[in-house]
Amino acid sequence: MTATRQRRPVVLLRPVPGRTPIHELWAGTKLAVVFGISVLLTFYPGWLPIAAVGALVLTAAWMAHIPRGALPSIPRWLWVLLAFGGITAAFSGGAPIVHVGSAALGFGGLLYFLRVTALSVVLLGLGAMVSWTTNVAEIAPAVATLGRPLRWLRIPVDEWAVALALALRAFPMLIDQFRVLYAARRLRPRPVRSARRGRFRRSAAEVIDMVAAAIIVSLRRGDEMGDAVTARGGTGQISAVPSRPKLADWMAFLVVVLVCGAAVAFEVLVVSTTA
Amino acid sequence: MAALSAATAIIAVVVPFAAGLSLLGTVPMGILAYRYRLRVLLAATVAGGLIAFLVAGMGGLMTVVHCAYIGGMTGIVKRRRRGTATVVVAALCAGVVVGAMSVLALAVLSRLRMLIFNSLTANVDGAAAVLRRIPHMEIAAARLKEIFAAALHYWPWLIGGSSMLSVLVVSLIGWWALSRVLRRLFVIPDVHQLETPVDDGPIAPVPVRLEDVRFRYPGAAHDALGPLSLTLEPGEHVAVTGANGSGKTTLMLILAGREVSSGEVERPGSVGLGKLGGTAVIMQHPESQVLGTRVADDVVWGLPPGAHIDVGRLLEEVGLDGLAERDTGGLSGGELQRLAVAAALAREPSLLIADEVTSMVDQQGRDALLGVLSRLKDRHRMALVHITHYNNEAGFAERVINLTGNGADDNTEMVQIAAPPRASSISAGAGRPVLQLRGVGHEYSSGTPWATTALRDVSFSVNQGDGVLIHGGNGSGKSTLAWIMAGLTVPTTGECLLDGRPAADQVGAVAISFQAARLQLMRTRVDREVASAAGFSPYDRRRVEAALATVGLDTGLAGRRIDQLSGGQMRRVVLAGLLARSPRALILDEPLAGLDAASQRGLLRLLEDLRRRSGLTVVVISHDFVGLEELCPRTLHLSGGVLQGASEAPGRSGAAGRSA
Repeated sequence: MTATRQRRPVVLLRPVPGRTPIHELWAGTKLAVVFGISVLLTFYPGWLPIAAVGALVLTAAWMAHIPRGALPSIPRWLWVLLAFGGITAAFSGGAPIVHVGSAALGFGGLLYFLRVTALSVVLLGLGAMVSWTTNVAEIAPAVATLGRPLRWLRIPVDEWAVALALALRAFPMLIDQFRVLYAARRLRPRPVRSARRGRFRRSAAEVIDMVAAAIIVSLRRGDEMGDAVTARGGTGQISAVPSRPKLADWMAFLVVVLVCGAAVAFEVLVVSTTA
Repeated sequence: MAALSAATAIIAVVVPFAAGLSLLGTVPMGILAYRYRLRVLLAATVAGGLIAFLVAGMGGLMTVVHCAYIGGMTGIVKRRRRGTATVVVAALCAGVVVGAMSVLALAVLSRLRMLIFNSLTANVDGAAAVLRRIPHMEIAAARLKEIFAAALHYWPWLIGGSSMLSVLVVSLIGWWALSRVLRRLFVIPDVHQLETPVDDGPIAPVPVRLEDVRFRYPGAAHDALGPLSLTLEPGEHVAVTGANGSGKTTLMLILAGREVSSGEVERPGSVGLGKLGGTAVIMQHPESQVLGTRVADDVVWGLPPGAHIDVGRLLEEVGLDGLAERDTGGLSGGELQRLAVAAALAREPSLLIADEVTSMVDQQGRDALLGVLSRLKDRHRMALVHITHYNNEAGFAERVINLTGNGADDNTEMVQIAAPPRASSISAGAGRPVLQLRGVGHEYSSGTPWATTALRDVSFSVNQGDGVLIHGGNGSGKSTLAWIMAGLTVPTTGECLLDGRPAADQVGAVAISFQAARLQLMRTRVDREVASAAGFSPYDRRRVEAALATVGLDTGLAGRRIDQLSGGQMRRVVLAGLLARSPRALILDEPLAGLDAASQRGLLRLLEDLRRRSGLTVVVISHDFVGLEELCPRTLHLSGGVLQGASEAPGRSGAAGRSA
């Protein structure tokens, strides 16, 4: 068994190595942009806004030197599902109709399907860009800064930011633990056969046992971390450097607002690709 | 509150994972709602939702909200001791709210609604068009189109009603399933130790004087500590030694402000746990000590807002200079503990307590950490209490307090530390080869920008009845090697053969015991655990007892709950289950970590016996050496993913067996 082609795994919450202008942007900017664009696309899911946002994502990916390898391999069932959806939608026909010789082919249905697919892909790409270019250490402080206005509503934003920071810290440790847990499960023999009713019961019991083991381990880790928090006199600062936007961030904001604004204006005023 | 925020964090991480299997995410949420206030559940939902959003977009966020709703409702209803009727009422209310909200959202987002509806119509129409071509299906096709068109026409009622109904159904199913799971989990004890002392006033933890102090945990039959009298002066360096169960950790808790059962504790001011000029505590588990994701962030973590410290100077003092921007995830155990020291020093404490800080750190890390601790006195005026079960570490201190303990008579000796033996020749002994590795290399996340090479061109073989020690430091790739040998990981290059066939095709034939024994124990009771791991019926008492006897456990333990076992017993129960399947080889990953001297010795003697008597093939992965010469006559050194030949072995010759 020599070097076989492997499936590329999904790598979570680890930035692509490198220091590019996109990496240097404040995490809060990226979160705000992603949130804003998501809202925009839910209100105006037309071809033009989708294309504009797609172009933004691609430009950002190019600027951040994201290689193609960062994309995880797409499992085969997803392709099958997409093909199935595309074929059924294509059969529905509808305007616009293209005449090829004597046959009239309606592309309306297919276009609707493609638009929904493109919308999902663009939204996923937005989230992926944040996770590919942002150090997890910057996310919680950025959330604390962004959420500052909510403090006036007596919403415990700082508490949430601390929980988020600890969660992101615990993330890799828990992934490791779940990996071991899963491996330990694989090492076990298949349970002995018994009557069908008994088998159902036993497999339910097995799932419960797995969940229980995972939770017990996680809670123990939580208690230990809690001790460490107490030993530091409770919560307080979570970052050594101040977390706030710089000039580049305002520029990025401006670009995003201009592009998205132009797309929406064109969409609403000139030609509607939404309806 | 600290334990809560940590528990929140843990659960916030578990939830997005559970996005695939919705029920899983509701379980931790349920526990949180049962144990703590709504506010905690809310914080967990926000943190979990944000992570899920980053990982899986909007869908992930919705799943988390969903889990929080079901888990939260079940947990709260359970805590208030209400029943199904309450759940139905709550679910109806929630259903109305959700239904109204989804209709409202779709009414406002008219363009998105049109797109979704048109797209769905296209799919249905297309399916109908295909159906129409099939003979006798014309009517069905027409009906399908009609029904769908009618449904879309009345969409507010349809969507509102179906949301309501689905919320109700999901709530009831969730309640039913979750009640069963949670019943088992509610009894998990809260194992946190430190509590924020309630005293206010000026902070001055030293000098402290203990007079006939005794401590008994609530519900325990014996005193965990005492009677004990001692004084601790400012600037003093004291080592506290004693076996497991002698009350070392209890003493730490008392010094950190825990109320004693009887006797007197005198100090000039309050303890000030974690406060500037107060008491700082560093504990055993390196990974749990460090709370920041970046080194510099961890140093300031938890400091009051506005407090400024010189991070660079502190990192330099603990020998981590230049690492401020590094991720804490990539640090070794020893580096993590030194970072914890830096975080403690950021508070300029008057009293620093180090509780068995070296027990989970490899030899190199231990030396560096001890060096840092012993130099602290030169720069700071602080009392240092170093709790340890390693005899050589007590030597640094000015004074040693030896706790003899109460009733802890079974393990009274201290752990010895040995130097690494020389790497022996790579060629194997006499027996038939069991495991053969040929040019094995492994790369994680290959093909992506995060690709990291863990192993490079590793070749060796393990013969029948061999005892091999694979030794390497942090990040040497030794765990990856263990996973490959057990068939759990397929190497990216080269091959790992078990009896001539790829090991990955025979998962389970090679047994592996992981460092975290608790993760390998999945059943609630010892007998069920052993039976499940070995693959026989739990009612087969004879075989369960035989399996327990193999690892020297009393058969009376069979009915014991897993959570009531000691660390050493857990490891033996794991071994009992593994050995009952007569594995071709047994791999042990850090088998001695976290065990006290007597348990270590007992386990080693057991393994030596098994190897000698039943010809068991043993591979040990460890950074510890003591006593392993007998079990593993052959040693391979792994460094940076490469196997070091005998000639390149670290040259600490003549030091083997030296007890420091």
